[in-house]
Amino acid sequence: MNKRNHGETSSGGGFGVKGSGECSSSSSSGKAKMWDEEQDASGGMDELLAVLGYKVKASEMANVAEKLEQLEMVMGTTPNLSCDSTVHYNPSDVSGWVQSMLSELNNPNPNLDPLQPIVESPVLVPPPPTTTTATTVDSSAINNVAGFSNSQVDDSEYDLRAIPGSAVYPQTDINEGSRKRFKSSTGSCSSLLPSSSSLSSSNVCEQTRPVVLVDSQETGVRLVHTLMACAEAVQNENLELAGALVKHISLLAASQAGAMKKVASYFAEALAFRIYRLYPQDCLDPSVLDVLQMHFYETCPYLKFAHFTANQAILEAFTTASSVHVIDFGLKQGMQWPALIQALALRPGGPPVFRLTGIGPPQSDNTDALQQVGLKLTQLAETIGVQFHFRGLVANSLADIELSMLDIRPAEVEAVAVNSVFELHNMLARPGSIEKVLSTIKAIKPKIVTLVEQEANHNGTLFADRFNEALHYYSSLFDSLEGSSGLVPESQDLLMSEMYLGKQIYNVVACEGVDRVERHETLTQWRSRLGASGFEPVHLGSNAFKQASMLLALFAGGDGYRVEENNGCLMLGWHTRPLIATSAWQLAATDL
Amino acid sequence: MAGSNEVNLNESKMVVPLNTWVLISNFKLAYNLLRRPDGTFNRHLAEFLDRKVPANAKPVDGVFSFDVVLDRSTGLYIRIYRQAHGEEPQLNIADLEKPVTAEVAPVIVFFHGGSFAHSSANSAIYDALCRRLVGICKAVVVSVNYRRAPENRYPCAYDDGWAALKWVSSRSWLQSKDSKVHIYLAGDSSGGNIVHHVALRAVESDIEVLGNILLNPMFGGLERTDSETRLDGKYFVTTRDRDWYWRAYLPEGEDRDHPACNPFGPKGKSLEGIKFPKSLVVVASLDLTQDWQLAYAKGLEKAGQVDSASWVWLSSLYVDAGLDCWVQRYGSACSST
Repeated sequence: MNKRNHGETSSGGGFGVKGSGECSSSSSSGKAKMWDEEQDASGGMDELLAVLGYKVKASEMANVAEKLEQLEMVMGTTPNLSCDSTVHYNPSDVSGWVQSMLSELNNPNPNLDPLQPIVESPVLVPPPPTTTTATTVDSSAINNVAGFSNSQVDDSEYDLRAIPGSAVYPQTDINEGSRKRFKSSTGSCSSLLPSSSSLSSSNVCEQTRPVVLVDSQETGVRLVHTLMACAEAVQNENLELAGALVKHISLLAASQAGAMKKVASYFAEALAFRIYRLYPQDCLDPSVLDVLQMHFYETCPYLKFAHFTANQAILEAFTTASSVHVIDFGLKQGMQWPALIQALALRPGGPPVFRLTGIGPPQSDNTDALQQVGLKLTQLAETIGVQFHFRGLVANSLADIELSMLDIRPAEVEAVAVNSVFELHNMLARPGSIEKVLSTIKAIKPKIVTLVEQEANHNGTLFADRFNEALHYYSSLFDSLEGSSGLVPESQDLLMSEMYLGKQIYNVVACEGVDRVERHETLTQWRSRLGASGFEPVHLGSNAFKQASMLLALFAGGDGYRVEENNGCLMLGWHTRPLIATSAWQLAATDL
Repeated sequence: MAGSNEVNLNESKMVVPLNTWVLISNFKLAYNLLRRPDGTFNRHLAEFLDRKVPANAKPVDGVFSFDVVLDRSTGLYIRIYRQAHGEEPQLNIADLEKPVTAEVAPVIVFFHGGSFAHSSANSAIYDALCRRLVGICKAVVVSVNYRRAPENRYPCAYDDGWAALKWVSSRSWLQSKDSKVHIYLAGDSSGGNIVHHVALRAVESDIEVLGNILLNPMFGGLERTDSETRLDGKYFVTTRDRDWYWRAYLPEGEDRDHPACNPFGPKGKSLEGIKFPKSLVVVASLDLTQDWQLAYAKGLEKAGQVDSASWVWLSSLYVDAGLDCWVQRYGSACSST
């Protein structure tokens, strides 16, 4: 091989459609399609581009090419091309992206009219509460518990450090600082309906099993094998074998360390529950879960990311409304809302009137948890100067919510957002529930629906499959807790966070039927469901992406956590494994 | 000038199919937005725009993949691609590092391109390429997610490449029947450049690299060569952007005769007498940097590296185009060494 080969092709001119010069490659079997077969691709989408993450209809190719040429011309004559103020949406839609760039560059908007106050700087810090005295705020709650106490509000309990950024941002004057103008390319939010024209690649995505190993960690091969074998035995109803394996797992787990040990222990316990039919009842005690969730909120960025990205979408939807109403499907400790209240306060032109309806389950000790949270939020809103009204709605299930309970005002008067963070998957446990909830949402006629869910399929019909999926998913989660929290191992926060996740594991593995509520499904599955129910996507853009990334860098030292854009939605993952997904929706045009 | 722009656009359209032209142009224009005149890079926008795919332990077309984090502190990870041999439709954690079974099992350590600044191991374009390599070369492919410029300048990319090479060579599950890991280094654009420099480090160690595969490797120098002048801006790429990327990668204050950029240039060193891996250098004849690539091949030849070959190939410039051709070339390169 010491000669230099100059294999030249017949030069010059076009290569026709094949374009591979001297190598007229024979099409290998499988998915390799030649370019001249692009017309046959599913849904008319070009297959080459689809595999590479871009959706362009074969029939549109020439048109898109022309627009690209135009864009290049315009870019050539634009100064400060790389100025960062443009917001980009959904890069997979090449046509939409090019079109929006053309609009942006051809008609630069001279008016400084930022659509939202949060631009370059992430979520703003509320001023520290100036008073701890309680004010009796009439939050006109209508719920099943009579009255609420007017006692002193202890601010230390409602930890404002829970608000993203507060621990890290100095208490600067919020109104200062350069807020760069940016323009939302609203004209081009291409809303490709998610479901019916889904490509084969997206079906493949749904069945993807992303795995990230960390080299320094012992992967515990035997342990994993035994766990899987146990799950198989359970699925085959070979309980004697399963029982023997579970005991063996405990032994193996004892010799592990770190995240793997904890994950294995939770899964082993859950298997034991299932085998011996000891479904843990305290799984579902709401007040306990809330406490655990608070620790989880502190320890890692998943919830902060969820709240932050959902709030971004809500803010953008609320830009021009003078009166807004947010319906929170799971109020819990209300940690999402201080930041939104803050952001609304800083809206150019002043804040709207803000109504919040917080939904939550009945408490076992009959306390009015919703009211307590509402009170704190009301107080906060007062200090910030936002007109705020809270209402708590106790419900056993979201499917029990009727339109009449929600006090919806006409759309011309008030803009409504429906917010669901890790709540909707619970509805998949009872037949009919999800349909009921989605139809209620539609009846609300919301301006925007924000949905955050775990990015995993823990709702498959086969137990062993579910088990495997969950094992991979929670392994990543636990690894991220250990790797990034910077906490001393075995700190209280860490332990509580692990328990929070552990309860989910118990539920996925040990429960069935209506008790199994942790029925997580992937973004692809939710897209399909929501698309079929009459919703269309509202895309989250590069501004939300950037701010979420910056937030992560501040909070979690950045290491390991990654934000990814996926067809207008944002995902947060640990290294390359996506773990939660935020999407936003509105009613499809035909449904209005 | 508008006139010459038009000519350029038409020419580039003649050498690739329309969908490829759309793909490359889309990249080109997006990349133009990311490079700031002051030398900084809009990393957030770059990550937002980059189409990524997760690893997938479920085989697709006979190939499965998984990621391994090698260094938590730098985020260095590798994506490993393997052939599925009629396994269960699902592979679990325990199966991923099962020992390779072939008598001779080539392992290709792959460095993606992107001019040192763009792309990642999980970029869709490179994931697709690596998957193809597995099937055609019957190899395990290890794609390295090296740190990128301008945030991480020389020699970070080489350090990461070297770390990955060491990791690969120490995996018992990657050993062929002779108890050695049969390693090839491959890469396109900046990845090709990394191949050379990592191979250099390997020479001084006891890690044997059986072959280097450089696809449109990124080399340059202070001098403006004929091909750069002749082809500037004609086929998607300009000398201006090349200069930008070198300025972003090379240490501040260094020029393009730095040996990272110009290994056989005035500041470079000869490989004479060094047992350097045999190399396959693929050069596209429409690549404006081809004179540098050919100079590299010549440098190898001069140093007596007689087992090297270079191929001149009339085609377009990017990874995705002419994929089948390249892959077949690698296949024959792997199996013949």
